[in-house]
Amino acid sequence: MINALRWLIFAIAALGMNFPILVTLATSFKSARELSTNPGLWVQAPTLDNYFAVFQVSDRLNIFLYLFNSITVAFIGTTLAVVLALPAAYAIARGKLGERTLLPFIVNLRAVPLIIFAIPLYMMFQWLALLDTRLGLGLILSIVNLPLALVILVNAIRDLPAELDEAALMDGASRAQILLSVIAPVCRPAIVTSLIFGFITAWNEFLFGLMLTTSKAVPITVGASFFFAASGGGVQWGVASAVMVVGALPPILLGLIMYRQISGSMTAGAVKG
Amino acid sequence: MNTQRAHSSEFRLLVTPLVLFLLVFLGFPAIVNLIYSISDVSFETLRQPRITGLSNFAAVWNDSAFWQASWFSLRFGVLTALLECGLGLFLAIFLSPLIERRSWLMAILMLPLMVAPALVGLMYRLVLHEFAGPVPYYLWAWFGASFSFLGPTSAFWTLIVVETLQWTPFALLLFYMAYRAIPTEIVEASAMDGARRWHLLWFIELPLMAPTIVVALLIRFIDGFRVFDNVYVLTGSGPGGSTASLSIYIYEAFFKQGAIGKAVAASVILFAVSFAVLYGLNLIASRRKGAVK
Repeated sequence: MINALRWLIFAIAALGMNFPILVTLATSFKSARELSTNPGLWVQAPTLDNYFAVFQVSDRLNIFLYLFNSITVAFIGTTLAVVLALPAAYAIARGKLGERTLLPFIVNLRAVPLIIFAIPLYMMFQWLALLDTRLGLGLILSIVNLPLALVILVNAIRDLPAELDEAALMDGASRAQILLSVIAPVCRPAIVTSLIFGFITAWNEFLFGLMLTTSKAVPITVGASFFFAASGGGVQWGVASAVMVVGALPPILLGLIMYRQISGSMTAGAVKG
Repeated sequence: MNTQRAHSSEFRLLVTPLVLFLLVFLGFPAIVNLIYSISDVSFETLRQPRITGLSNFAAVWNDSAFWQASWFSLRFGVLTALLECGLGLFLAIFLSPLIERRSWLMAILMLPLMVAPALVGLMYRLVLHEFAGPVPYYLWAWFGASFSFLGPTSAFWTLIVVETLQWTPFALLLFYMAYRAIPTEIVEASAMDGARRWHLLWFIELPLMAPTIVVALLIRFIDGFRVFDNVYVLTGSGPGGSTASLSIYIYEAFFKQGAIGKAVAASVILFAVSFAVLYGLNLIASRRKGAVK
């Protein structure tokens, strides 16, 4: 009896929280004609026309470019964060360097409204000709990803036995060598987790994409909104829905495949940070 | 001793790239913020800001839109944090017997966390649209009336619901992990003592989860307070600035009004307040840790 109630509550929660995703998915398969008579959740005559329309490149809209931009900036933002965080995490965990200053500072960064850095960064990018470039946006996304990557990696290295380093030190290895040949391989799960988590975060980022790009480096989160204003008249809801499905799909798939690791790292960042 | 010192210099070298990166991309902007906030600056005079004192701060201080935005952010942060954590706590505990055996249920509940808040905001433009949206459609079909979800008075509450539905899974996930981490011996021992289910929950389980609850409330408050993406795409600053969060206030001051001084001064205020709050929280946390030891 109580179990039936549990299933009912689960169904309501799952439906309620995923409602916009379900509506968008259903709408993306509706023709414009069906939409005008049937805004409900059911699709009477499914069609792929909206998806064909989305992947049609025009001089105003180019979804391939937005997707390519998102992939590139997410890749830069993720790898750079891990490349910077891994050696630092090692020094913090083993050398106790910056454990009381650098680590809390970077962890707190997660809680600072990043818009406060946005205006000087915009001006700085103007001087450096980084505005509307994938490199520029990728650099900023690595700042967004740094806090969690650092926490995940510091925790992972702290959990390793110190004998691991000591044995290698006896053999005369330098710290950098130990990091590359001993620590990094053992920490691979943590590195993969921070990469995937970072990729999802970077893919979903909107504020800096909106401010720092205008045409050449526009990511999909910003580009998707262009489809809402397309073609003069009202919004073509079927096409707009198809764009949103395409933009939301990569992180959803990553999340579904890796949700165990992701849930673990979310709690790591929350509880230990 | 000598090797010790050699090691510490090796470690220092390993931290250097990160520190340099932060100095360039956060340190430099922070300094620019400070200088511009006390200067008379426009897009033409970016390189030669004229220091004028605190007039930018005065402009922000006397701007009713700034206080309106602060009030919005504060209310939005507090309400969404409470709703998300309350709902998440209930779901985590009530559904845990189901999720324990079938972890894929959690994957379904976690889905909203994977979608960009900006896209979720755009999705609600469809969901709530008066002609194409299913919510007004079903309201008309079932109740013969609909509702203006993004009107001047209702927009705030619509945004609260939008944010809460997307981020409740975060709280749910945290609480589920904390709930599962409660040692079974404790629960069994108190059950042996004849503790009722409610007593068990109230006096044993919830106190054990308290640290996680505090952390979740804090994280959700911070994210709600600095909200931008979904609000920006759904209502922008809203009628009469009624749904402008502080992030939107700063964004619009800079990009829409070109009021660099005002935007930068507001940034500096936000910067100071967030660091003061975070510093205070760290202090409390470390003191408590010390007390436990």
